[in-house]
Amino acid sequence: MNPKINVKDYEPIVGKSYIEELRMLARRLSGKTILNINSTFEGGGVAEILSRLVPLLNQLGVDVRWQTISGEAQFFKVTKKLHNALHGKDEPISDDEFSLFLETTERNLNQIDFSGDIMFIHDPQPAALITKKSDIGKKWIWRCHIDISHPDAQVWRFLEQFVTNYDAAVFSSPNFAQQLPIRQFFAPPSIDPLSDKNKELSPEAVDAVLAKYGLNRDKPLILQVSRFDRLKDPLGVIKAFELVRKNFTCQLVLAGGTASDDPESGEVLQEVRERAAGNSDIHILDIPPGSDIDINALQRAATVIMQKSLREGFALTITEALWKAKPVVASAVGGIPLQVKNRLTGLLCHSVEGAAYALRQILANPDYGRWLGRNGREHVRQHFLIVREIRDYMLMFLTLEHREDVIYL
Amino acid sequence: MAIIDWLRVNWLYVAVPVLVFLGVFFVSLWLRRLSYNALEGWLKARKTEVGKIIISVTRKPFLHWLLILGAYIALQVSVLGPQWKSLGGKILASIFIAYFGWILIRLSREFVQFYLNKTKTPQRVITVTTSIAQVTIIVIGVLMLLELWGAPMTPILIVLIAAIVVAILVFRDIFPGLVSGFQLTQQKQIKTGDLIRLESGEEGRVEEITWRNTQIKTLEGNIIIIPNTKLMQTTITNCGKQPEVAKEPFQFSTRLHLKELTGLSASNLSQLASSLKEIPDAVVYYHTHSFIEEYQFLTPEPTNDFALWVQDALGYDILAERLASIDTFEFPTVGALRQMIIGVIQDFLAQTSNEREAPPGNEFHFIKSISIVLPTPYAAHDLQEFVSILRRISIGSLYFHIFEARLRLQRVTNDFSLWLEECLGEKELAERITRLDPYNYTMENLREIIIQLCEKRL
Repeated sequence: MNPKINVKDYEPIVGKSYIEELRMLARRLSGKTILNINSTFEGGGVAEILSRLVPLLNQLGVDVRWQTISGEAQFFKVTKKLHNALHGKDEPISDDEFSLFLETTERNLNQIDFSGDIMFIHDPQPAALITKKSDIGKKWIWRCHIDISHPDAQVWRFLEQFVTNYDAAVFSSPNFAQQLPIRQFFAPPSIDPLSDKNKELSPEAVDAVLAKYGLNRDKPLILQVSRFDRLKDPLGVIKAFELVRKNFTCQLVLAGGTASDDPESGEVLQEVRERAAGNSDIHILDIPPGSDIDINALQRAATVIMQKSLREGFALTITEALWKAKPVVASAVGGIPLQVKNRLTGLLCHSVEGAAYALRQILANPDYGRWLGRNGREHVRQHFLIVREIRDYMLMFLTLEHREDVIYL
Repeated sequence: MAIIDWLRVNWLYVAVPVLVFLGVFFVSLWLRRLSYNALEGWLKARKTEVGKIIISVTRKPFLHWLLILGAYIALQVSVLGPQWKSLGGKILASIFIAYFGWILIRLSREFVQFYLNKTKTPQRVITVTTSIAQVTIIVIGVLMLLELWGAPMTPILIVLIAAIVVAILVFRDIFPGLVSGFQLTQQKQIKTGDLIRLESGEEGRVEEITWRNTQIKTLEGNIIIIPNTKLMQTTITNCGKQPEVAKEPFQFSTRLHLKELTGLSASNLSQLASSLKEIPDAVVYYHTHSFIEEYQFLTPEPTNDFALWVQDALGYDILAERLASIDTFEFPTVGALRQMIIGVIQDFLAQTSNEREAPPGNEFHFIKSISIVLPTPYAAHDLQEFVSILRRISIGSLYFHIFEARLRLQRVTNDFSLWLEECLGEKELAERITRLDPYNYTMENLREIIIQLCEKRL
């Protein structure tokens, strides 16, 4: 368990009564073991959430464990294709690739220790592990972190045969729900306000990071933080920036990294670099995993934070931006509208032009930006911090057997 | 015969000491009467109890002390040899010291009991204080006697000092507690039965104050024991004595919730109205309360998801206004509320020829609210405790007792009003809370308003 994490440290942020309620739920889970399984320990939002969530639940007294599936690079290329196809991208997947997926799953079925009462499986990569249910029973929950509102029909049919065997599925947005014979819960993901990526930083620490990346402290900074992925539309962000820059002095930072299960990101990074070449106000930062303080500092230094994704699971980068009380401009896709209530906690857009229009509003009216930022931070405090996600999961674990609308525990 | 003969010759040797003894005795008796009368008059004018104690304890012994004085003077004027005079003087002085010490012990006991009983000091503190006073007097008396009879004092004093040091070391933790306990009770900062709030946030009713600790029963029902020394160093808010106790305590519950996706969606008004007829009450409940829950911290806007969607996705502003203006507070059941919403939509549809479709990705998704209710450790036994707990319960708890109790669990009104009226007889207060329309306040404002209403009754 990470000794740095202490549940009590969240009391000043969400209040004592909130933490008391978590303890009440944890006591009721005493004696149960929950096993999380996903595809990687590092890189990407799921690993990031689990690395905080597991120790916190352990500290509350819940026996929560975490394992990952293993696979060759070829396997992760297939899962990336599955990921894209579930996001709605036209991504042909051959029978051999489906077979490779199933063979790797089979190998993992023999390697993983499935001891536990509740199997909590994250995302499509390990979804087929459910075949073990017929041998060992137990309760199985599939946690889908990605946008499957418009999945490729062939890939969804393939995945559906596994998903329908789960006891419940959890989605990050209501429009990801499918017609399934199992219970489906809605639980948006969350951020940890005490992590390196979100904790308070001194102005000196922020300045040091800006200096490290050669950024001008005095020039308004538009920032998008995301993996170099076409679905995050980095080229669209550059276009919107170019429209805004005609009237406003500002700089753009596209900061991102790569994850071990995303072999495509290198190609996208190259494309973005080529597109930005020659414009000294566009900074493309390839930030390695683990540079959380750098990301935190960039977000705190930003004037506006963007997330102009074409498809999106939930967009934790938006949650991080809102938590730092920054005005955000984001596409109305996936789980973003859950966080950004247009003109209340940020501005939503549907196009490059719309993004540029929203950016201009904020750059021209700093007070309006600050008001949006304050509302956004409060919205995150109430609904998108890790303590709320922990609470949702504990409630699911406790109520899997119940079918009533009002449950007395 | 020999004695009679000796007296005939030496009668003056006897008569003088006897006359001196009797003279001193009678003069002293007269002086005692004068002084005690004066003292009684002075005390009567001041109506003090202290003097009465002194008079009642010392009146008789005073006579005995005068007898001893008379005997001492008579001895000194007698013709006895110096060694006999010295021996007799020492015996008389020893009797006087012992007797005087005994009276001082009685006086100290009376005084300690008088003062400490007046301040309602615990019996243990009285006993310890009395014992300390008695031991001190006895030690001083013994030292005086030893000095009188010429005993070596240095080793005795060394032993005595060593004993005092040992006693201080052994009781070093007890003394500060004792003093603090004394201060707490004497200054009447807290009393048994008071509801107190400590700087640390702990809150509860004082169960007992002992000479070392104070025992508090917290609002969660836990017993905490705080050393008096610590209590004296912290800031205490004393909310006062327990008001009228309720017939039954109010047990606070909290409500957490899960959102269950139904997989159902609507992309136009007809589909919305059609699904509204079929979906469970828990779905209608979710969509008429989710905005209040989500944005309760930001705005008291009592809108519902149907109104928001009709405006944002379909662009029907007039219908959105009509849906938003449905006063949820007016409806006793979710079913009645559902019928109203369907009626408003159908009225609108009857006047609309071309229905609009929501843009792709903006469909209305039906979500079901699953409430999970848990008992909290908080139970209020009276109005004072009720207010204190109300300050600290979660928004979920407040929401459960106000919103869910009335509409979802179909109780006549909110839980607070029911308890206030039925268990505390606070009919007027209950009615005032019942009349509050909770949909028009943020949750924190609602909490504050209820607290203010209750505090007016305290």
